Amino acid sequence: MNNESIHLHIGTDAACYTVPIGPVHPALKEPIEFSFRLDGERIVGVEITPGYAHRGIEYMGMKRNLIQVLYLAERICGICSISHPLALTQAVENAAGIEVPPRAQYIRTIIGELERIHSHLLWAGVGAHELGFDTLLHLTWNVREKAMDLLEQVTGNRVDYAIPIFGGVRRDIPNEKAHLAREALGYYKGLLDRMIDAYLHDKSVEMRTRGVGALTYDQAVSLCAAGPVARASGVCKDVRQDMPYLAYADMEVRAITPEDYGVKPTGDVFDNIVVRLLEVGQSIEIIEFCLDHLPAGELMSIPKIPALLSALKKAEGEGIGRHEAPRGEVFHYIRLGEGIEEPLAWKVKAPTYSNLMSWVPKFLGQEIADIPIIAASIDPCMCCMDRVHLVDKRGTDSVETKEVLIRLSREKTRRVLG
Amino acid sequence: MNPQELLSTFRTALGRGLLEDRVVERRVGTVTPSVVSDIWLVVPREALHDAVAHLCARYAPHLSVISGDDLGEAIAFNYHFTTGWGERFGEATCTIRTVVSKDDLRLPTITDLLPGAQTSEREKREFYGVEIEGIPDARNLFLPQGSTIHPWRKDLEGETAKLVKRMVKWETRDE
Repeated sequence: MNNESIHLHIGTDAACYTVPIGPVHPALKEPIEFSFRLDGERIVGVEITPGYAHRGIEYMGMKRNLIQVLYLAERICGICSISHPLALTQAVENAAGIEVPPRAQYIRTIIGELERIHSHLLWAGVGAHELGFDTLLHLTWNVREKAMDLLEQVTGNRVDYAIPIFGGVRRDIPNEKAHLAREALGYYKGLLDRMIDAYLHDKSVEMRTRGVGALTYDQAVSLCAAGPVARASGVCKDVRQDMPYLAYADMEVRAITPEDYGVKPTGDVFDNIVVRLLEVGQSIEIIEFCLDHLPAGELMSIPKIPALLSALKKAEGEGIGRHEAPRGEVFHYIRLGEGIEEPLAWKVKAPTYSNLMSWVPKFLGQEIADIPIIAASIDPCMCCMDRVHLVDKRGTDSVETKEVLIRLSREKTRRVLG
Repeated sequence: MNPQELLSTFRTALGRGLLEDRVVERRVGTVTPSVVSDIWLVVPREALHDAVAHLCARYAPHLSVISGDDLGEAIAFNYHFTTGWGERFGEATCTIRTVVSKDDLRLPTITDLLPGAQTSEREKREFYGVEIEGIPDARNLFLPQGSTIHPWRKDLEGETAKLVKRMVKWETRDE
């Protein structure tokens, strides 16, 4: 692999397109800027600049007690709002030696997998929209609502569920709620084949995504890619399989790659769709397993908050917590000091942080009209593409809007379909 | 991935370059309990590159992130790798720690071994003010270009507080 091509670096000439895209941040969901160097329509260089609104979450966390840090962690990401608490609680529990009751481990797993279903469907809808298939977007997001409704019925919230607490969970899933969950799973089972058919057997989707934004196996490994982005390139890596935790340790979870769909992995946008859609089916199976085997018993090992805070204050040590979030591995490192309420060190790593560098080889050699779908293919929680600043090599300067980029993408869809 | 075997090869490869090593085993699973391992290694700065090279040569590591920990007179940098992925219960975390004095804040780059480390190295460079020797791109990544404040340094807290105050003032200004 040519290392030169993957460093986030472009030449010093002015022949570049500057593409501010937001709001998204590799780690913390904030705005991000791309600078593309173009040869005609082809992208020959790309520079990625994140950090436009770094919130300093870790800095804030080191000035708060651990319960406050938990709620702060929940607000790192609106979509992965259970993933960061799941990783943080495990890191603290490992550092402080706090046990988690079996029932709580299963409930955490169920909420985590519901989040994966709604996150993957959200992404699939965005992908369809970028390609100009708003019918598919509306169908997908309509289907997604069932998971959101269920999350609201079970936890009280559509996002920021406030379920995990150190040493357990804050709410139970009683029988009547389990019944609602089974009903939702039945709904998704009936629809999944239709969704797969709509995305993977559509000629225009295939023409716009096959061979677009590819990432080889070697690139994915050497660039430390994570989650569906790595698995789409054939890297059989999934924390739930490799180093099981919570209820995943009680069941067989396998990393899904495009080979499960019978295609050779290339890491292109099509393969990213394959992996995410198949993972929706996998999440349904995991939730079913958890509901069938939900152990009886306590929800928290230390139910009283003052007692929990006191136990945390006495704890000393360091811990790692990992969770396979919808976008890949979320990693938290924490170090606790005896007699100190605040963490001495806290590092958060979100999946987009790992996949930031993978964007570079995915973009190289591609066309401007493919920018939206490639940018979306790593699922960076990109809510909107504000505007695009284009500077061509003759020095002409223009500012393009999100609408122009989407129009270019849709025109290409019509063009390739003849 | 056998953590004890990994430790043994590290001891042979690094010799006195390995200052501390330990394996912490954790029990997971409620029905059929299994064990997963966190491996913690401490190396001096001079042995860091060799340690990562050994890991890369034998264990196909994935770098999750590099974390920093301001200890007062020095900063500890934890290189959080995972290795053994690809099979059920096959993986262990392997953290390589090196402690660098604030008087001589330098670290060698590991991007020649693992290009994907660049994001994390650039972040440590700007947030702690550590010089990463040989890094292909030494510009700020998350902080604005030209910013010389290192927000995660506890001894430079005053500078960060001033920055936060200025930002709050700017963000809450009356248009």
